[in-house]
Amino acid sequence: MPATDVFSALANPVRRQLLEALRDGPRAVTDLAGDFALSRPAISEHLAVLRNAGLVREEPRGRHRYYHLEPVPLAEIHEWLHPFERYWRARLTDLRDLLEEDK
Amino acid sequence: MTIDHTVIRCDQFIAQPPARVWQALTDPELLARWWAAGDVRPVVGHRFILDMGSRGEQPCQVLAVEPERMIRYSFAEGSLDTTITWRLEAEGTGTRLFLEHAGFDPASPLGQQALKGMGAGWPRILSAFESRLTPVR
Repeated sequence: MPATDVFSALANPVRRQLLEALRDGPRAVTDLAGDFALSRPAISEHLAVLRNAGLVREEPRGRHRYYHLEPVPLAEIHEWLHPFERYWRARLTDLRDLLEEDK
Repeated sequence: MTIDHTVIRCDQFIAQPPARVWQALTDPELLARWWAAGDVRPVVGHRFILDMGSRGEQPCQVLAVEPERMIRYSFAEGSLDTTITWRLEAEGTGTRLFLEHAGFDPASPLGQQALKGMGAGWPRILSAFESRLTPVR
C-alpha cells in the first residue's frame, strides 16, 4: 500500500474516531473493534490506512496487535488551521480597537 | 497533546462592559465595522447572510442565545460548514470575549478542495487559504 497523506487518512470519520479511541493509550485491535459497528477486518483496514499515514504504530504483544497513537503528523493538520487562527486574531483586535476607541 | 484539529479557540480582553461587547456582536451596524455586514439578530432560528467581501456571502443560522453571555450560529453552510460560538465573561470592569470556531473537517467541501490540491504540495494550499482569509488592507 502506498504511503497515505494525513489529510486522506483523516477524511474518514471512522478513522478519526479510531484516533480518539487511542488517545488514552494503546489498545488491541479486537478491543477497538468492540467500540465500532464494523467488522474486525474493516477496522484492521482503517488501522492500516492510519499506519500508512504515520498516525498510528503497531506493536505485537503475544497473540494480539496493539495500536499506539503517533501525534506528530497531526501537527501537519494543525498547520491547516493556522491561516484561520491568524484571521480571527486580527478580527478580535479590530473589535477591541473599535470598542475601546469610542469609550 | 491534542488531536482536536477541528476547533479554533481565541480570546480577547476588551475594556468595555459585556453589554457593549454584546452589542458589537449582535447589532448589524456595529458588526459590519469590525467584521462583516449581515443582518445578525440574537434570536434562535434566525437566518442571515454575512457578506465576507472577496470571501463570499456566507449563510448563517442562530443556534443558541443567552443574552449578553453567549451566541452561537452555524457559519458557511455548504462550504466550511462550521459553528461559531461567542462567549462573554465579565472581567474586572471589562469583558473577556471567547471565540470558538468549531467543526473544521477535512471531509468538508473545503477540506476536499485542500485534498485535491495535495499534489501541488502544502505551501500552495496554505497560501491559497491565506489569500482568501487574510483581509485586504
